[in-house]
Amino acid sequence: MTRRQLLVTAAPAVAAVPLAKLALSGTSEAAPPPGHAGHAGMAMDAPGHAAMVGHEAPAPGGPHELDGLLHPPNPLPHKPGRVREYSLTAVDRQIEVAKGVFYSAWAYNGTVPGPVIRATEDDLLRVTFTNGGSHPHTIHFHGIHPANMDGVFEIVSPGETFTYEFPARPYGMQLYHCHSTPLKKHIAKGLYGAFIIDPPNPRPPAQELVMVLNGFDTDGDGENNFYAVNGPAFYYAKYPIRVRRSQTVRIYLANLTEFDLVNSFHLHGDFFRYYPTGSSDHFEYTDTVMLCQGQRGIIEIDFTNTGRFMFHAHQSEFTELGWMGFFEVVD
Amino acid sequence: MASTAAGRLGPGAWRLWALLPLLLLVGIVSLFASSGASLVDLVGRAPPPTDEFDIRRVEFKPGEIRIRVTNPQRPKLTIATVMVDDAIVPFRLDGPGTLGRLRSSTIVVPFQWVEDDPYTIGVTSSSGIETTFDVPAAVETRGPSPRGFLGYALIGFLVGVVPVALGLGWLPSLRRADARWVAAFMAMTAGLLSFLALDALAEALGLQARLPSGFQGPGLILLGVSASYLGLTFVSQRFSATGRRERSAPLEGAALATLVAIGIGLHNLGEGLAIGSSIALGELALGTFLIVGFMIHNITEGLGIAAPIARGERISLTRLVALALIAGAPAIAGAWIGGFLTSDLLGVFFFALAVGAAMQVVVEVVRYVARRAPGGLRSGPVIGGYLAGIAIMYATGLLVA
Repeated sequence: MTRRQLLVTAAPAVAAVPLAKLALSGTSEAAPPPGHAGHAGMAMDAPGHAAMVGHEAPAPGGPHELDGLLHPPNPLPHKPGRVREYSLTAVDRQIEVAKGVFYSAWAYNGTVPGPVIRATEDDLLRVTFTNGGSHPHTIHFHGIHPANMDGVFEIVSPGETFTYEFPARPYGMQLYHCHSTPLKKHIAKGLYGAFIIDPPNPRPPAQELVMVLNGFDTDGDGENNFYAVNGPAFYYAKYPIRVRRSQTVRIYLANLTEFDLVNSFHLHGDFFRYYPTGSSDHFEYTDTVMLCQGQRGIIEIDFTNTGRFMFHAHQSEFTELGWMGFFEVVD
Repeated sequence: MASTAAGRLGPGAWRLWALLPLLLLVGIVSLFASSGASLVDLVGRAPPPTDEFDIRRVEFKPGEIRIRVTNPQRPKLTIATVMVDDAIVPFRLDGPGTLGRLRSSTIVVPFQWVEDDPYTIGVTSSSGIETTFDVPAAVETRGPSPRGFLGYALIGFLVGVVPVALGLGWLPSLRRADARWVAAFMAMTAGLLSFLALDALAEALGLQARLPSGFQGPGLILLGVSASYLGLTFVSQRFSATGRRERSAPLEGAALATLVAIGIGLHNLGEGLAIGSSIALGELALGTFLIVGFMIHNITEGLGIAAPIARGERISLTRLVALALIAGAPAIAGAWIGGFLTSDLLGVFFFALAVGAAMQVVVEVVRYVARRAPGGLRSGPVIGGYLAGIAIMYATGLLVA
């Protein structure tokens, strides 16, 4: 272990005590109810960034700005052959990826990640794609579809339109992204999003959330400067996600982080069921999952306690570069 | 036509006419600027700015890190996020968040740092470019305090005044020495000053390379060298003029010793500055060994001042003390400046001043030796003395390198 590595491991421990105090003092506008068991565990699990909560968190944007990406459209009952239409336009746009840091992104419908696409298995999906950007783009969906709908050979030049049409299957958590070359550039710039296919037998009702893990290489050196979920760094640390304890929380999770081999999701203070790709009933009962790029799954949490619980990548570096947030669990 | 007009306006009118090119320049510049600099579009597109900060100084205080940043480029630069070891940290600003060209601000990061550990500090601009600064080992930076003031003064006194004063102690033996020996010591003075000139030039060049290009380091060095060289030339002319000698005669005696002391003093100013800032930034472990090294290194400087006054009338003790202070005390001032301000810009300028001063004094000493030494410049003692001067500085320099 080098001196530097030693430091990296030692620094959070040193910072733990004062930061734990800060976390307990409750700086967010949504103050947690007193007397719950969550806080002490949280501060011990995640020293070093516990202070980054509420207004202390250096996140851009206002409250509810990411609601469109966080909350998926409602599921529809199984009805084979029904047409589900979406239209996506790729645009060049400057987005604020961390507080005060602006990045020239390529974005489907102007957001990174792009809009959530949802269909029920056997729906006929029709996605009209317009390239409003300055480079050739495509949409490559994960799932089962004909070769000419794969978004690899049908390059859509700037100003052109292409319609992807295929039956939605198989059910599970899927994703989509641009497949133009250079691939790394087109994904790093922000052309990706979540694609949910609901099973014929509907999943039980739940508080549904979408989380797309991503990163931003703002200085172009082939390494991410910021990490996030659904876009801006530290957004859900500044605006904790409010959920009810009485109902299951279902998270459609996908990793679209470029440059890094893996990303991960870790929940504090509780366990969850993790369904890889959401394609079967098999699950793992855990509090940490690891995903390579393109890997995804469904998380179901039945919160035991109320209070504020942190979630973040269990790569400390990603956590401290923006991939960190809180659930505000209420009764 | 102009001359007839000027003639009509009177003899002082050439000054008014001299303004004409300036007025025309202002007019053309404003025309060009108002056209939106579309000229650039004809030949291509300007590349985007690098958007890198110049991190001038990182200070470690109990529970906080202070980062001094400057905008080295023409376009404005905004501080967006701050990282310590690749982790985004909360910070507050002591100064503006958006910096104009060459403007500075201090970023204050509350942070429980670990003594002696290395840190990487990163500052990211609003365009997402991260500038990093490596700190080899975190040590607490002490602010200006009576204790620190005294400490730096003592260091400057030990490495500057003491060795010079000790070196002057060779004066009685020099007075009894043979003329050839005195010539050898004079040549040695020239040798050690040549060494100091090159040493200061290397320091100045090294420091200027760290400056943002906007500060034009090489130009600043030339300015400093010329200013001190020509300044001392002027002073030495005045010395000869008041000394009832013909103007072209070389300086000797107390006047030459004073000149040597000024040259050495300017070098010690730079040396003190370098020592002071190194201590302040935790780059230098200032042990007893290093202090002793500097004392041995600098004792020959005293000998250099003593050599010109070895012949001729006696020098009073107060005069000797004054010479020791002229040569040694600037080390104290340098240590204060370096310890509390740490400015590479000042460092470059001071070292450049030292270069010019040392060069000028070498010229004066060589002129003296050429005229006074038995056998002139080509004699064995002179050549040997000059080489010995360089060799001694090199050898004792090993103690502080």
